[in-house]
Amino acid sequence: MLEIKNLHVKLEEDDKVILKGVDLTVEAGKVHAIMGPNGSGKSTLSYVLSGRDGYEVTDGSATLDGVELLEMEPEERAAAGLFLAFQYPVEIPGVGNMTFLRTAVNAQRKARGEAELSAGDFLKIVREKAKALKIDAEMMKRPVNVGFSGGEKKRNEILQMAMLEPKMCILDETDSGLDVDAMKLVADGVNALRSEGRAFLVITHYQRLLDHIKPDVVHIMADGRIIKTGGPELALEVENNGYANLLAEVQ
Amino acid sequence: MGLETEDQIEVRDGVDRETIETVQAMAGKYKHGWETEIETEYAPKGLNEDIVRLISEKNGEPQWMLDWRLAAFARWQKMEEPRWAMLNYPEIDYQDQYYYAKPKSMDAKPKSLDEVDPKLLATYEKLGIPLKEQMLLAGVEGSDEPRKVAVDAVFDSVSVGTTFKEELRKAGVIFCSISEAIREYPDLVQKYLGSVVPQSDNFFATLNCAVFSDGSFVYIPEGTRCPMELSTYFRINAENTGQFERTLIVAEKGSYVSYLEGCTAPKRDTHQLHAAVVEIVILDDAEVKYSTVQNWYPGDEDGKGGIYNFVTKRADCRGARSKVMWTQVETGSAITWKYPSCILRGEESQGEFYSIAIANNAQQADTGTKMVHLGKNTKSRIVSKGISAGRAQNTYRGLVTMHPKALNSRNYTQCDSLLIGDKCGAHTVPYIEVKNNSSRVEHEATTSKVDDDQLFYCRSRGMDEEEAVALVVNGFCKEVLQALPMEFAMEAQSLVAISLEGSVG
Amino acid sequence: MAVAQAKLDAAVARLAGLDLPQGGWSGGARADAVARLQAMGLPAKRDEYWRYTDPTTLTAATPVAAAPFDASDEAQLFDAIDRVRLVFVDGVFDPAQSDDPVAAGVELLSQAADIHWAQGLYGTLEARGQNPVARPLAALNTAAATEGVLIRVTGQVAKPIHLVYLQESDTSDAILHHCVKLEEGAELTLLESGPGAARFNQVLEVEVADGARFHHIRIQGRDHDRRLATHIFARLGAESLFKSFTLTANGVMTRNEAVLELTGDDAMAHIAGAALGNGDYHHDDTVFITHAAERCESRQVFKNVLRNGAVGVFQGKILVKPGAQKTDGYQISQCLLLDEAAQFLAKPELEIYADDVKCSHGSTSGAIDDTALYYLRSRGVPLRQAQSLLVLAFLAEAIDEIEDEGIAGEIRLRLEAWLSRQDG
Repeated sequence: MLEIKNLHVKLEEDDKVILKGVDLTVEAGKVHAIMGPNGSGKSTLSYVLSGRDGYEVTDGSATLDGVELLEMEPEERAAAGLFLAFQYPVEIPGVGNMTFLRTAVNAQRKARGEAELSAGDFLKIVREKAKALKIDAEMMKRPVNVGFSGGEKKRNEILQMAMLEPKMCILDETDSGLDVDAMKLVADGVNALRSEGRAFLVITHYQRLLDHIKPDVVHIMADGRIIKTGGPELALEVENNGYANLLAEVQ
Repeated sequence: MGLETEDQIEVRDGVDRETIETVQAMAGKYKHGWETEIETEYAPKGLNEDIVRLISEKNGEPQWMLDWRLAAFARWQKMEEPRWAMLNYPEIDYQDQYYYAKPKSMDAKPKSLDEVDPKLLATYEKLGIPLKEQMLLAGVEGSDEPRKVAVDAVFDSVSVGTTFKEELRKAGVIFCSISEAIREYPDLVQKYLGSVVPQSDNFFATLNCAVFSDGSFVYIPEGTRCPMELSTYFRINAENTGQFERTLIVAEKGSYVSYLEGCTAPKRDTHQLHAAVVEIVILDDAEVKYSTVQNWYPGDEDGKGGIYNFVTKRADCRGARSKVMWTQVETGSAITWKYPSCILRGEESQGEFYSIAIANNAQQADTGTKMVHLGKNTKSRIVSKGISAGRAQNTYRGLVTMHPKALNSRNYTQCDSLLIGDKCGAHTVPYIEVKNNSSRVEHEATTSKVDDDQLFYCRSRGMDEEEAVALVVNGFCKEVLQALPMEFAMEAQSLVAISLEGSVG
Repeated sequence: MAVAQAKLDAAVARLAGLDLPQGGWSGGARADAVARLQAMGLPAKRDEYWRYTDPTTLTAATPVAAAPFDASDEAQLFDAIDRVRLVFVDGVFDPAQSDDPVAAGVELLSQAADIHWAQGLYGTLEARGQNPVARPLAALNTAAATEGVLIRVTGQVAKPIHLVYLQESDTSDAILHHCVKLEEGAELTLLESGPGAARFNQVLEVEVADGARFHHIRIQGRDHDRRLATHIFARLGAESLFKSFTLTANGVMTRNEAVLELTGDDAMAHIAGAALGNGDYHHDDTVFITHAAERCESRQVFKNVLRNGAVGVFQGKILVKPGAQKTDGYQISQCLLLDEAAQFLAKPELEIYADDVKCSHGSTSGAIDDTALYYLRSRGVPLRQAQSLLVLAFLAEAIDEIEDEGIAGEIRLRLEAWLSRQDG
């Protein structure tokens, strides 16, 4: 489903090279995890895939179901089925959470040539999905992410994911800043969305999230490259021994 | 257990035990109000071309300097005194004062400090200013390092002496009186004098150009970090005399200097005029810190006497990545008219302005800054704390301009006023001009009174009301006090307490 | 400082070119206004409160021609609201297009009677508002206005009164002066839409007695070429409420001044503005709020969205007089600059002579938040729509000042429509 080939990326501003040839294939229905030390380029990969400004792709490609992503605007990527759950969800004062969601859902439906959801239908679906994530009506009325706790922000990301029904979901450090209960809630939300036609790329620093969202494949990223790929046992190895051994192994 | 309120009230940050002790140790009102009895030589009263010539002659100046002064004087005569500030004072009679006063003992220019009149040395001793080349131990915990501070001491119209000159010269740093610099380093002075504050800048600056008598000159060569802090202490002693000092600081590429300035004057029943100009030129990657503790005589409780302080200070960040930081503690003067400014011309240059202005009794202050963003990626920050007490009026006036070419620049302004008592005034007059959209400007201002709960908390711990107010005010000012060099921070904290005496009860 | 002779001469010349009404109940007030104007002169670019706005086209003897704007492609504003419509064409009342003013308790400004209830109001608040900052265009208005409405309210007025300004002539030079008096406990909603002349000079004097409530919603439409100078002078009694909101979209010159005086304890004055500017556009909000009583609250909320060379100006002041303890004053002015050519010039002032007060102001300006934009787009919202959503969010705080939800909703819809038009 997602195919990244030889991806090289540098920062636009100071020419710093962050990704130095990433190769990665995620198949439909699978959950892949990327682990790696701080500064290895994990978050950059997620930003580049979703089209954030400030990065320059110097080589390589990334396709979703065979369609080149890197040439598209962020909203086109979203309509194509790519979703990024942000590490730091953005606060937007003045825009109601409900308005935000409805605008996004309908914009994507429109882009795909589908009819917009009626207000009534939309509300029904949102309520149902919000309930599962323990998001109350009051939270839906507040401006997007403004004044939300860390856990509320992450749950709100998962709610958006549930509403937008993307094909390819990237979770960027979704576990950061969450306590055990909040992490379980978020993981349950993600697991509920697992299906044949949908793939996940879970970016995380620690193994603990992977206790709740079981990956099929684990990649270790360091210094802008994938240095090792394996099964779930690779994550445990990192948990027990840290990254140092792995890094030494490669060098 | 203490009072019930203990858990609920948080005294502001920065009010710690040390501060409490400092404040408690305070006593006495304006403590620099005494006069040095010394024989003084005056130029004739009033202002005309002859006086300008006389000042130039007394300083032994070259012709170009005299010509410059005369041009300024001719221009000044056609100018009108600005009245846009929120200051209310009677018409100043520019003919009814002296423009030059010098201790007679300074006639035979002393070659070293050893030759200086003991009375003058005693004056600075009494003011607590070291004119001996000694290590200075800052009386503050955490600074066991003995520190050196070089001093230029200006008494009325002349510089009495400058310490550590030789040691500084070895590092390539020039630190001397401006009159000496005009004689010894004419090329440097001619190149930079008036290049930041032009002769035509404003009424008071133009007057200064014509009649300035002394002041300090600082030159830091390329790549040099000045080995010690430099300072100038200004003392007005003579009666009916204006002080017009001129300071010029040049920081070459990659250099650094921290400069301090202090000012005091005796108690007099009449107002005295002080119109200074400070120019700072900062080239690529250089940094200048300029700190002022202004403690001119503020006048008595009824507004009798006190200094009229009209000052033009400006730093020109000409070089890329150059940086200037103005810090001022304005507690003295009957009238303060002062706007230390930053011209952010070099790309990525930075300007900062930290100010505490305290006006008590009948004092009036109209002070602030200008941040003129001309270069790309320039940054500025303004933190102003104004405190009004008694019948005083305190105004923050500031300008932030983002020119069309100053792309991606930033300004942040925080401007807080505190009122003590219901007879005083606190005013904020910012001008914000944004002419490109990649720059971001944020201005915030608040006005409030001293928090009753905080006062009560302090008093329940045994402080009297004045101590409590001083303590809380010091907390209010902490952000600015922290920007001062250590020695000054202590002095400034004490000053805050003294300046607010009689503000409550 | 002495008033420059040129300004005085300009005032005399301008007055000489006008046909000033004489006599009647307002004759005295008009004569006083003439004297005031002669003493202060016409505004000039060097005046402190005109430093960011060039008054030349507002003071000139004749207006710059402006073609009437065709707004027939959109529905009349406030059409959904049950209201009394009073129509002025080129600044002249048009009974044919209007509802019956008498039935609605509205009188039209005239010189007919020698005695009138409005005698104590007409020109009075304007005169009070001339200190400490001169407002010569308002004095000129008091001296010369022949059109306007006089409304005295004793109870609650059931229907909002809607003043509709239409333009037909491209050289019309309208001068309107309205007086509104709300007696104790009365309530009125006044709607305005226009401006409706090539040049439009308007004064609105509002006396809000103890416990009275005044709501004012004004839309200065999309007509681009007109030049507009408006003044609101209001005096508020104890526990009274004053709320005014103005939406401005385009206009080559707009100067909206408001001079509000809180004279009774516990009064509340809120004034807000949202302005959209595109291209050759100059918009100026100049507000002066005086707190002269205890425990009053004032809010100023002004938002500008500018692009393509448009200029926004905000000059706002909170003055707290001695003794006006427990004042709560708030002021925010913000500008969204959508491209490099737009400018925002602001002077947000505080002048405070009482110690037990809570006053704050904030002013920010900058481009649209890139991160928020990217976040919206990553959720599939197209760029234009995302921008428009963020612009509306930016303006929300000003629109929230409208108490009536129906009217606020209509304004939001109209804004959305205008924004999508600008995008297209």
